[in-house]
Amino acid sequence: MPSPEHIKQRIEASIAGAHAEVEDTTGGGDHFRATVTAPAFEGRSRIEQHRLVYEVFGPEIGGAIHALSLKTQTPLKTPQ
Amino acid sequence: MSSTESSPVRDLPMAQNAPTPVEPPASSESNPIHDAITEAISEHKVLLFMKGTPEAPACGFSARTVAILEALDTPFAAVDILPDPRIRQELSAISNWPTIPQLFANGELLGGCDIVTEMYESGELAEALA
Repeated sequence: MPSPEHIKQRIEASIAGAHAEVEDTTGGGDHFRATVTAPAFEGRSRIEQHRLVYEVFGPEIGGAIHALSLKTQTPLKTPQ
Repeated sequence: MSSTESSPVRDLPMAQNAPTPVEPPASSESNPIHDAITEAISEHKVLLFMKGTPEAPACGFSARTVAILEALDTPFAAVDILPDPRIRQELSAISNWPTIPQLFANGELLGGCDIVTEMYESGELAEALA
């Protein structure tokens, strides 16, 4: 059964520079919510950003991971 | 209740109206469900693939997406993916999107519940559905 920590590590290991915060929304180990920040999202639509994260898990989404609710964002740029 | 309004559900498996002269080849290429889905996407301005029906959603994410469309007073068609597991399989293959619900507008995937919620909150959704 995947844990939030496990989900977090896989996202961070697969998407360069990503930072993920993951919570188990039901406590059942199959519904998760993740906020992912990554430079790789720059210039991509929301759909493409979410696809990048879903691709980390492939068929596990809808399988062992019933739901992975996502919020994606790019790192804040440091003001010049 | 206009349950016929949201009836691509029932039509879906039967939407292959071109009479096939012979048995379609057993290859996975000829696929009436695939064709019915792409047809439904192109025919409906706003189309929601969901679990359950707008009147009785079978999943919280589908329910929230329906509630948002209703809050915007958007007419939409809905397909219940639960009756036949092949609908979900084919849909995800077409859309390259693994989860349900999936909201399409003008033939394009807008997103699932998360994106639809974000777009609703930012006001982008009303624009995308116009």
